[in-house]
Amino acid sequence: MDVSGLVEALGATRVDGHFVDAWSLAATEARRMTLGTKDSRTGSPHAPLALSESLTARVKIVWSDGRISRGALDRRQIVQDAAAALRATRASSYDDPDARLVLGPAAFPDVRVFDAATDALAAGALEPLASRLAAIRGRVAAHGFRTWSGSLQAARATARVVTSEGLDAATLGTSWSWHASFDGEIGTGFAARSQDDEPAFHARLDRAVPAALALRADASSRAGGVVPVLLHPDVVEEFVIAALLHNLDGAAVAHGTGAFRRDQFQTRAAVLREDLTLRHDPLVPLASGAYRFTQEGLPARPVTFIEAGRLVSPLLDLKYARRLELPPTPPPSAIDTVFLEGPPPLEYAAACAAAAGGALVLGVLGVHTQDFTSGDFSMSAPQTVALGPRGFEGRLRATISGNLFGILRSPQLRLVAFPGEHTPGLLVPIRLDPV
Amino acid sequence: MFLDTLTSLDTVAAALVERARVRGAYLIWRAQERSCARVLVRSGRVEEMATSVSSGHGIHVVDEHGGVALASRDDFHDGPALALLDRALESAALAHRLGVPPAFLSGLTPESARLIPAGLDAYERLEPSRAAARLAELEAEIAARAPGLTTTLALSTDLDAWRVVRSDGADVTWIMPRCVLRFSASSRGAARHTVGASVSGPTPDLLDDPGKIATFLTRAATAARLAAALPDAPNHPAGSFPLVIDYALAKGLAHEAFGHASEADGFRSSVLARDGRFRSGDTVGAAHVSIVDEPVAGDHAWQPYSASGVRRERATIVDHGRLADALTDPWSAPLAGARLTNADRAESFRVAPLPRMSNIRIELEGARPAAGAFEDYGPAEVRELLAEAGVLARHPEVVFLSGYSGGQVNPTTGDFVFNCKAIYTLGARGIRLHKPAIFSGSMFGALHAIREGFGPLLLDAIGTCGKWGQSVPSSGGSHYFLVLDPAPTVRLGGR
Repeated sequence: MDVSGLVEALGATRVDGHFVDAWSLAATEARRMTLGTKDSRTGSPHAPLALSESLTARVKIVWSDGRISRGALDRRQIVQDAAAALRATRASSYDDPDARLVLGPAAFPDVRVFDAATDALAAGALEPLASRLAAIRGRVAAHGFRTWSGSLQAARATARVVTSEGLDAATLGTSWSWHASFDGEIGTGFAARSQDDEPAFHARLDRAVPAALALRADASSRAGGVVPVLLHPDVVEEFVIAALLHNLDGAAVAHGTGAFRRDQFQTRAAVLREDLTLRHDPLVPLASGAYRFTQEGLPARPVTFIEAGRLVSPLLDLKYARRLELPPTPPPSAIDTVFLEGPPPLEYAAACAAAAGGALVLGVLGVHTQDFTSGDFSMSAPQTVALGPRGFEGRLRATISGNLFGILRSPQLRLVAFPGEHTPGLLVPIRLDPV
Repeated sequence: MFLDTLTSLDTVAAALVERARVRGAYLIWRAQERSCARVLVRSGRVEEMATSVSSGHGIHVVDEHGGVALASRDDFHDGPALALLDRALESAALAHRLGVPPAFLSGLTPESARLIPAGLDAYERLEPSRAAARLAELEAEIAARAPGLTTTLALSTDLDAWRVVRSDGADVTWIMPRCVLRFSASSRGAARHTVGASVSGPTPDLLDDPGKIATFLTRAATAARLAAALPDAPNHPAGSFPLVIDYALAKGLAHEAFGHASEADGFRSSVLARDGRFRSGDTVGAAHVSIVDEPVAGDHAWQPYSASGVRRERATIVDHGRLADALTDPWSAPLAGARLTNADRAESFRVAPLPRMSNIRIELEGARPAAGAFEDYGPAEVRELLAEAGVLARHPEVVFLSGYSGGQVNPTTGDFVFNCKAIYTLGARGIRLHKPAIFSGSMFGALHAIREGFGPLLLDAIGTCGKWGQSVPSSGGSHYFLVLDPAPTVRLGGR
């Protein structure tokens, strides 16, 4: 990746008598292959085989008068128009004493983020995809699904961080992901920096089928009320962990727009049940969220946000670390390096039995409409399966409501190990109203 | 100057069209240049001022056997562009081995046009530091009206320019300008709530537009007061109730409940299609209800041409209760058995366009008048409106959902949800505020439940639609207020 023109321009830029005092740039050069399937039509015009090449850079400039500029540049600006692009950023400079820090060299941890086979896919070697598509189509035919949609994606990307303080680090990584949903309702998928092997791929597909089939039967005669509800790991990731991370964001903490206050971190306030922990480890080899350094040049390291139910650290970039006078934290970039942990989890089958009379919520609609700050939630759960003494009893269209923090402090909360899932499910009494 | 880059690409465009012709392929070439800026002020202080530029081109090819591929790159050099075209054609050929069926494209009328809206010089005049100072002034004014909250103001500007060239000689260039002024307020107590408000316009001049700013300040102050009041508000019970929704929620209903299901790329699974064909003529709602989608000049989601370079048409999705038009593109229209409405949009040059909504609205024949501006109507005024129209005689208590805060749909099942900013119960016992709750149900039930409308059409409810992972601006509205009779398939969540 050649960013020499941009680096040279950073050293030479002067605007109205002001020069660049310090700078950092994070550049990514990527190549990506995507093959989509929409309504059973693989590679249709709406989900075609797509190849893309890109070079982008995020730049932070600290001017000689202390003002800050931030910008995102594309390949054309990086390669051809760097000087003009940098001069233009001066017009949008602003005072922000907390944002002036630029990092120097550091020791970066080794973590495996590259896989040669995935790299070949990203270059357009499509043959390995044939068996995956055949496997999905086979399940669709065998179980009588009307349609399926999904995608297979591979990419390679070089990430490089360069700063005026002498930091210059680069990593070549790959990524692989796939997703398939049946009848537009229930899906499954996988993402990592290397491909899942074929047996794991088949097993994951097979695990998705029973729930999809269970939705065909009707269990709408159930009454509403507070019942044992088993939240699928997809729901836990999309709602529970997303809401916690939103409230842990340093900007939200510093500005008082999140659920957690600054002083609560100083006092290690108890915000969840005393046996729950939320942490991030970007050093898991070949995990989708694995990396060696952040875009600011911060070395990757494990971080604990909530330990034994108590606040430990917000998610802090350099700016908000300085403002809150705490060490910066490498942020999660994918869910597979975020760990919600607690007491030994119930096995999935035992959890289903324990939830008899309640329901398994496989998916929810409307997560993005919720007020994460208050923790109050009211969501539609059209993909819900009623659970009875003999297991699945059919589909239950429902709404679920309550307060997230109330759930995570409930003595009745149990973590549940779903086969093949990184994140635990949650079993807890929740208000569930069939529609 | 706004189109200097895109209009300088004649050589590369011609070379790509010629290479495609030689190789027996049909080309739709999309070049895009997009410049965005954002200024964010919190508690009187600039917290962020950032700019971004992205440009590049996408090569969408159909080979002689109907194989389709898309390749993209973020520069406009001839050599890499031609190499990319070759790679795309090789990939289209390879795709046949993976069971990719051939694609068929509707015949398109080639047009050569350039469309630049007036007033774009305001983008050149925009001084971010002055904009930041103006945001701080506005924030102070809002704080004076509704004190004691943590507030954020942000101005986002977006100049999105496209050029589409096709093998058949079409060559269309246009710019979509967008600016949004957003506000959010968070209460400071132990139980915190956040409520937002916004106004939009085509240029950054909206910061100095007295009318827009007056509307913004009213909306922001209302949001701030709600943020302060919601922590103490009770939850509303779940169930089916007589409902009043405002025009922004009506936009959500139109967008989530009907718009997505009418997008023809999903007709193998949509509830509005049968065996892949649009159910044109089927009755889906009350006879006085229509749903219309079309680009509106100056609007947040305005897009005059499709991503295939054809003028976008008005689509009457529901015409007096019956399905009429689908949202189609050249690929889906022939398969859907529906009229081509040129509804394809793309987030960027990198992705395949999809049939999408632009500005969608619910229109009611015989809507009753509502005097004044929408912002004049708080819950008390809405209750008065309903009482005068006899709605409260029909339903002693009505649940008023106020303010849209996003939605989602499953077009396969017709299940939709959207959320509001607040719930008020309006009735003889007075007016009571409740915390927001999800509004969910079946699209058919909702459209049949619409009974009355009040006020003129207001179409400035904005949002972002995230279909298939692509974010594009959306907008729409309806009459100021719609009344929905209770329906078993339409429910308010709650606790």
